[in-house]
Amino acid sequence: MSDERISPIEALSAASREYGTIDVRSEHARWGMAVDLERCIGCWSCAVICKSENAVPLGMWWNRILTDGPALDTPATDEHGRHDLHWVPLACQHCDDAPCQKVCPTSATWTNDEGLVLVNQDDCIGCRYCMAACPYGVRVFNWGDAEYPVPEGTGMIATRPVGSVEKCTMCVHRLAEDQVPSCVWSCPAQARVFGDLNAPESRLVQLLESRNGEVLLEEKGTHPKVSYLQPRRRRPIQISVEEATS
Amino acid sequence: MVAVAPATAPVISRRALLTGGAAIGVAGAAGVAVVATQDIGAETVLSLPVDRVVRTTCSPNCTGGCGQLAFVRDGKVVKIQQAADYPDLEYNPRGCMKGLSYHLQIYNQDRVLTPLIREGERGSGEFREASWEEALDLIAEKMTAIGEQHGYDSIHVFGQVPGSGYVHKGANYRAAATLGLTHGTSFDLNGDLPMGMPITFGVQNAEHEAKDWANSRFLLVVGANPLETRIPDAHFLFDAVERGARLVVVDPTFSSTASKADSWLQITPGTDAAFALSLAQVIVADGLADLSFMRTYTDAPLLVRVDTGKRLRESDLTGGEPEPNRFTVYDEATATAVPVPLDVLGIPDGIDAALEGTFDVELADGTSVAVRPGFVAVVEELERWTPEATAQTTGLDPAMVRAVARAYASESPAAILMGAGSNHWYHGDLQGRALALCAALTGNIGQSGGGFSVYVGQYKVRVKWGPWVNAGEDKAKTVASIYFIGGPTPDMHPDVPYPAAGYKGLFCTFANMFVQAPDVNRLYETLDGLDLIVVVDHQMTDTAGYADIVLPATTWYEKLDLTATPLHPFLQLQQPAIDPVGESRSELDIWKELVKRIDPAKYEQFWQVDAEDAIRMMLAEGGPAEGITYEQLQEGPVRLNVADPDIPFLAQIRDLAPFPPVSLPAAIEKTAAFVPTGRIEFYKDEDQFLAAGEQVPTYKPPFDDAANPPDQYPLRLLTPHSKWRIHSSYGNNPWMEEIHGGKPPVLIHPDDADSRGIADGDLIEVANTRGRVVAWAHVTESAKPGSVTLHEGWWPRTFKAGKGVNELTSSAVNPIHEVHYVPNMWAPSTGWKDCNCQVRKV
Repeated sequence: MSDERISPIEALSAASREYGTIDVRSEHARWGMAVDLERCIGCWSCAVICKSENAVPLGMWWNRILTDGPALDTPATDEHGRHDLHWVPLACQHCDDAPCQKVCPTSATWTNDEGLVLVNQDDCIGCRYCMAACPYGVRVFNWGDAEYPVPEGTGMIATRPVGSVEKCTMCVHRLAEDQVPSCVWSCPAQARVFGDLNAPESRLVQLLESRNGEVLLEEKGTHPKVSYLQPRRRRPIQISVEEATS
Repeated sequence: MVAVAPATAPVISRRALLTGGAAIGVAGAAGVAVVATQDIGAETVLSLPVDRVVRTTCSPNCTGGCGQLAFVRDGKVVKIQQAADYPDLEYNPRGCMKGLSYHLQIYNQDRVLTPLIREGERGSGEFREASWEEALDLIAEKMTAIGEQHGYDSIHVFGQVPGSGYVHKGANYRAAATLGLTHGTSFDLNGDLPMGMPITFGVQNAEHEAKDWANSRFLLVVGANPLETRIPDAHFLFDAVERGARLVVVDPTFSSTASKADSWLQITPGTDAAFALSLAQVIVADGLADLSFMRTYTDAPLLVRVDTGKRLRESDLTGGEPEPNRFTVYDEATATAVPVPLDVLGIPDGIDAALEGTFDVELADGTSVAVRPGFVAVVEELERWTPEATAQTTGLDPAMVRAVARAYASESPAAILMGAGSNHWYHGDLQGRALALCAALTGNIGQSGGGFSVYVGQYKVRVKWGPWVNAGEDKAKTVASIYFIGGPTPDMHPDVPYPAAGYKGLFCTFANMFVQAPDVNRLYETLDGLDLIVVVDHQMTDTAGYADIVLPATTWYEKLDLTATPLHPFLQLQQPAIDPVGESRSELDIWKELVKRIDPAKYEQFWQVDAEDAIRMMLAEGGPAEGITYEQLQEGPVRLNVADPDIPFLAQIRDLAPFPPVSLPAAIEKTAAFVPTGRIEFYKDEDQFLAAGEQVPTYKPPFDDAANPPDQYPLRLLTPHSKWRIHSSYGNNPWMEEIHGGKPPVLIHPDDADSRGIADGDLIEVANTRGRVVAWAHVTESAKPGSVTLHEGWWPRTFKAGKGVNELTSSAVNPIHEVHYVPNMWAPSTGWKDCNCQVRKV
């Protein structure tokens, strides 16, 4: 055991590192993500690893899984008794026209060269205008002392100060080392695809074209860089007409 | 369209999100202590450095066997993330939200940090901290006293499934072998042993590796919910669907898996065998059966005497010695009964083996008896179970069952994935046998993308572990733990080494037995008669809380071990990422200290070993691990020497080798006795099967109606596994609690709730003659009327009253499971779901 600390990315084996490497990166990357709602199984692995990766305290989620139904993991039932259950993982949509950024009085919220909407905590004064402005409700606020289930905390980035707003960064600290965000790495259903929207050969762009990705609350004009691939059409077993009528 | 999203019960209408009008509220309450500010300004931010990253394997008995990386800083695990380093890339990343939050178990407030000795009454929770010396001396003294007075075999060693760690689970066996203790069982006690497999195929269990699901054209998922309980493998269903496969889910409730299905069949609980028999009936009646497969690989053509129900053996015809004790077919070409070889499958050239008809043959003594192929008995039974005949029982539309049968038989390869929801019944063996019949009738056995797989538990011993678990020539005596709980049964097999003096002591490791065993109130009566209860655990479970002495155990992030799983064929190490937390020690280290105190000579002989030695001993035995080195395993997962894809019965299907293939660690002679014909058996001629009327696959209704009559206990209590826990593990995980809210919900249909005046969220009592528990009603139309669902594994403290759901479950033993005895292979398998109950508002 060496006293020298190392980057958690550099410490990965070749196989692990290869798994998480961003597939292509254009000269001027613009990061985006697709979430396949057919593949999402509502397991919260992406939400949990986000907490772990980003040292998000108890009671707060940067990324959470909404059940499309009346209660957690409970299907919606229509008037014909037909059930429908889907989950919608939700975190910052990294909008091109980010309402949160427009209302920030100190410019603490800003968009970097690669399209990521970020919060500079040193400049955040905790006014929470951004939280009111965000139509997706994905920002959280540090009201008081953090509580961690592990005494020393978890995580691969530093914690945030009391009185500041925080949210998903698309794991910007990992992108610098060419690794996908942790939620993408850790999705056991392989429902998340991350990539460069400016690279036509990226798996993300190809998937968005072939699967017709949709964005949330399109009419708000926020132009999110996170898209959702809609559930497939089912192929139910057909009962033959004679059998059904006999 | 209500759209709300508090952090712990997040629900929303997707349509609202897509079409507007959504108001997404958020509850982000907690704040943060400033350690260092992350300035996400213009400068590049990188991950904080760590001391090291350690590759290990998660194995809480979910069967996942998922490679994980432990990120360590200042001697603490600060992040766990999937290693995603499987050479078969489709297995990556492999790992779920529970495994990713295991550091919350390592540093949990319930973590046991020192040895504890009981001060108050059992279960009072009053302990004092003790030194290891004192605790070990005390245990050794008490074990010696019990051993000398009653025999060492009156101490029961209980641990959970071997695949979750061969070294330390193996240490329990080695200790039992060394000291003459009796070892318990887990696979059968867990109800996971799918008795349909040994009865039909002669194996403990045999399943396709999960990646092979993707090769299927038709996936019939029966009583399984892989989206919640096989999270790392669930995507293989989608992979198959994306390639054009159809997904049909048979489940009483609209499960997560049902939500992804092309068709969902809402079956009445416990009637899967009736459904499967209807499928088989349609397949045969419609001429869709693969009779060539049945003739070649199964006992279908073997003749059965009409007078006795026994098979016609060659010795019946010749009167000669019963060696070779061969079985016979009816050759239509010569109109005679002729023997077929036992050492190769198939029918010898020139013989036209009948599958139908009844024939008279002359026996050696000159008498004549009527005989018929076993298949005739199977088909005759099927005729009782047409889709119309079973509709009342299963609650399924006969037209739909016919359509499913035809699709299953024509869209091949077709896989049946059977789960615990189908297996965990007193007659789970019949459910399995009927489904296996469907797979055989369609020739799906031994085919990639096909098969009949039962995914249950990390039971599998995939290395030759004999040199490690035995103490020289001495092997552990193994008693099925159901007999520990309830004592011997009238039909208990004579090979069960039940202790002459009964049980006086229990040594329980890595298991929450007093919550998770069936019929726990009965178990507590047994416990009250014990002189010694030792529990080795890293959490203060209710089991540990009832112990006389609690020993603090290391988690798998603190010790070295070797693991494997049935879900994928990679052998993996668990490698210590951090020093043991508190004063915790591994099972191996604990046994070394105890054996040293109880039998110093045996200690010198067998226990001068460490975990690495143990692993090297197992690898050196070869077999499936032939050529795999310890050093390779240190680097990452290594595929065992198995076919790719790893599917069962290849030697039988391709090379006509007789059934069964070996089930490690049992000797082949032991398991070969399960299927004496050397074929897939759908006709059983042992006396017990004949007496029970179960010689061929049939349906029998749920068993609990005698103990809990439906007029008083009209609801079936279903106790599936939860996605938020692995049994009771993670039941105290703060992140999981944040998601699910920590209050056990009882799923009940509005019809059943309304008639009892129960509203969503009400406190309700779930009770039967064995026990009661009080929890919260969750009224949902996704439940099957006539049943309630309460997931197993909630910790007792989460309930308003009661020890948990296993106050209600049954420990009844099916005598068919006692026809043979090979622990964990042919032994009583618990019928958890044979459990009637009544529910009332409190």
